[in-house]
Amino acid sequence: MKSMAIDILLAVGVLITLLSVLGMWRMRDPYQRMHYISAPAALSAACFTIAIFLQDGLKPEGFKALLTTLVLMGMNTAVTHAAARALRISETKDWNPPPGEEVPLRPEDELVQPEGKQ
Amino acid sequence: MNVWELAAEVMIFTLVPLTWMSIHGDVRQRLVTFYMAGVVITLLMMLLTMAFNRMPMMDLALTLALMSFGGGIVFARFLARYLK
Repeated sequence: MKSMAIDILLAVGVLITLLSVLGMWRMRDPYQRMHYISAPAALSAACFTIAIFLQDGLKPEGFKALLTTLVLMGMNTAVTHAAARALRISETKDWNPPPGEEVPLRPEDELVQPEGKQ
Repeated sequence: MNVWELAAEVMIFTLVPLTWMSIHGDVRQRLVTFYMAGVVITLLMMLLTMAFNRMPMMDLALTLALMSFGGGIVFARFLARYLK
């Protein structure tokens, strides 16, 4: 039973990583590709950590794997935000939307008005 | 061959499209691919540690995860500041 659970967790973790890499390959721009990093960083790492705990019990390697998973989860959010911000700045020279850019966050948001039309 | 080795060997094949994406495309695409490669190789290190039953090697996975974080932030800052 335990070995079957380990097999399933490893298969799920590897499958998530494979699908994420293939999904990343299919996407066109880096903003779309960025979304595919979160699945292996969170789900695959969690699956592998649970499998390690099941295999070895409460041993130091399991806690190291848990710490690695937590680092990957935290790193993913921070690095993805930093990368998206960097890509945005490299494209538009500024983090903030320029006048006239269409960036409504909610359906009821108004468009950013061009200068002189406020 | 145990199940950990099998999982690691399948995971290695994910590095093929990542290598291709790291070579082709513009610098923005390659930066995102670099982040993904950091995550995949960290997971691979975890699997290889269990596959070869060399438990101190788990420190390498943890170190790589931490270093990828620092490297990712530095590359993002560099891209924003110098590659406009």
